[in-house]
Amino acid sequence: MVARPPVAPQPDLALALSGVTLALGGHPVLAGIDLAVPQGQFVALVGASGAGKSSLLRLINRMLEPDAGQLRVHGADTARADPMQLRRGIGYAVQGGGLFPHWTVADNIAAVPWLLGWDKPRRMARAAELMAMLELPPKLADRFPGELSGGQASRVGLARALAVSPRLLLLDEPFGALDPDTRDELGDRLLALHRAQGLTTVLVTHDLADALLRADLMVVLDGGRIVACGPPAQVAADPHPAVQNLVATPLAQARALSEMAQRA
Amino acid sequence: MIAGWESLPSALAAHLAISAAALALALLVATPLVLLMPGRPWLRRTVMGLASVVQTVPALALLALFFPLLVLLRNLTGLPVPSLGLLPSLLALALYALLPLLRGGAGGLAAVPDSVRDAARAIGMSPAQRLFHVELSLAAPVVMGGVRTAAVWTIGAATLATMVGQESLGDLIFAGLQLQDWKQVLLGCVAAAALALIVDGALGWCQAGIAQRRWAPAAKGLALLALLSLGVTGWWLHSRPATTAKPVLIGTKTFSEQYILAELIAADLRHDGIATGVRSGLGSGIAFKSLAAGGIDISIDYTGTLWTQALERNDVVPRAMMLPILTRELKARYGVTVAARLGFENAYALAMRRADSDRLGVRSISDLARVSGKLRLATDLEFLSRSEWAALRQAYGLEFASARAFTPVLMVAALKDGSADVITAYSSDGALAGADIVLLTDDRAALPAYDALLLVAPGRDDLVRQLARYDGRISVEAMRVANWQADRPEGKRSPVEAAQWLARQTGLQP
Repeated sequence: MVARPPVAPQPDLALALSGVTLALGGHPVLAGIDLAVPQGQFVALVGASGAGKSSLLRLINRMLEPDAGQLRVHGADTARADPMQLRRGIGYAVQGGGLFPHWTVADNIAAVPWLLGWDKPRRMARAAELMAMLELPPKLADRFPGELSGGQASRVGLARALAVSPRLLLLDEPFGALDPDTRDELGDRLLALHRAQGLTTVLVTHDLADALLRADLMVVLDGGRIVACGPPAQVAADPHPAVQNLVATPLAQARALSEMAQRA
Repeated sequence: MIAGWESLPSALAAHLAISAAALALALLVATPLVLLMPGRPWLRRTVMGLASVVQTVPALALLALFFPLLVLLRNLTGLPVPSLGLLPSLLALALYALLPLLRGGAGGLAAVPDSVRDAARAIGMSPAQRLFHVELSLAAPVVMGGVRTAAVWTIGAATLATMVGQESLGDLIFAGLQLQDWKQVLLGCVAAAALALIVDGALGWCQAGIAQRRWAPAAKGLALLALLSLGVTGWWLHSRPATTAKPVLIGTKTFSEQYILAELIAADLRHDGIATGVRSGLGSGIAFKSLAAGGIDISIDYTGTLWTQALERNDVVPRAMMLPILTRELKARYGVTVAARLGFENAYALAMRRADSDRLGVRSISDLARVSGKLRLATDLEFLSRSEWAALRQAYGLEFASARAFTPVLMVAALKDGSADVITAYSSDGALAGADIVLLTDDRAALPAYDALLLVAPGRDDLVRQLARYDGRISVEAMRVANWQADRPEGKRSPVEAAQWLARQTGLQP
């Protein structure tokens, strides 16, 4: 089941994509993507490698330009926005944090405020606030990214994405390379921040449990098309083979674990 | 005091200036190329390939190649492009500095991780912000590494600029090599090395400052560079003679006789209140070209050399006819005036050990031709490609078992230690005064005369009058002794001291 966006702009939609098509280097990547995301939703974007998840994410903040179709963020056509202004207003984090190795942790977190011309005391105050929010020890403020653990770097990346309180957060496997415990803990922290700040979050992830348990809306991509879209429980029941390929193993594991727990 | 000490401040200042200018020019060329390289692999390949090819050319050859290139440019455009001195040095050194700069720049930018570039774009940095705050900042340590290498190379290679008539620390090194005055060579080398080390250290601080995004080390580096420039300039200004007039420049080729005569004339002119300077160590052909172009004001040259090189003639004419023709032709073609014929000859001659000469009964070149097939010839670096060699072979049918080129100062040594049986010698060579060596007579007059002349650059008729009194004043015997004083391995005298002796001896003492 695919959510069809209306043609007219709807301000209560955080994201509205219609007919979005993309080819890279002559190869089709995305074909006719329609997607509507109401404000405040936590969206999990899943699919096999090469399904076009990251490309879809990068179209939203114009890191990539579509060959056809329209994208609206909070009702405004992104094609008409200045790309730099658009990106500064959208939080974005990637695996490993994508931090600037020659900038301190505090400077990394306050990168977008710096671009917006905030003065230094205000930037440092904001960085300290975000570090507290993401449970980063204050003493890390003057360290460089090379001195951080993987989990710390991911938190800094997330803090940087949240620095100017964007309404939309785009996350490309931000916890991909972390150990399961840290990943789970950061997933919970993210969900709490998402709820508390009324964000709309689009999370690209390979972790199906993450998607099934935390998302409001689960979008399954296969071969550049959306093959399922809806609440996780509904998507998990979708008979489409690409969906079943993805969810069968985690669901079977979950059932087995649940039976084991009952016997115990 | 070490010989050459008094010219050190000026050479140091010139060396620093030419190195800095060449590095600045290279940076000016390399920067846009490096910034255009990302995303243009063809540009990167082409530019790096060309720079690498340039690097394979020895620095000295690169310097020398700019002379014909600039002459060609002057002939094509009709513009007064100088072909000697500052311009060729600047261009050649800048070209030489290009490769490390390009390598550092391109390598530094290529090493910036894609994830970091991507993140810079995704948070909304402008292209300029990405370039300066992310890509160049991250590449800076590698880029500065390239700048450091380029600076050290340039300072080293700038010693060779002496050969094309640009003042540098090479003046001390080449003069010292020629005079076998190792202290002077060492002085030039140590000064160049110290310059390179200080600049490298200062740039190292700048590099560290940029890498750590801290001002203190970078400021320290910049301060050291400023201090060095001010210090060298100050020393140079302080050591300069008080006169404000542009000094009369006396150019010398790379052998002792030239250094001695230059010092003799310099002291004489100074005595008359004329500020003088010596541009030493010019290549044989370069000295005359530099004089004709006004780069130097006075030079000492030889009739035979001028005959073949300046007039481009291969015929041999009697000595008596040579000077009038030269005087007329040099004036007409180059505006150069022959101010005096010094009175001695520094001719090319063939020489051999006295023992061999006696044993084989060889007194003349005709005698030599009978036995030369079994003998080994050692010549100076240019003789085998000069017309004199062709003339000798034609006149006498000379063939040697082998012929090798040596540095002139080593030729007599080669003869003495048996590395060669016959050498090219110069008739005024001081070594002939001390050694058991026989000069072979040119019985068929195949070689031209090599009377020593004082030449004056176009438009300096005031100097012509000053120098006229040298005419016929220096005998070959006196010149040989003075040369030997400077060349002999023990009890060596500086060119200044030998010049003083010569002045007393010949009654030219001011």
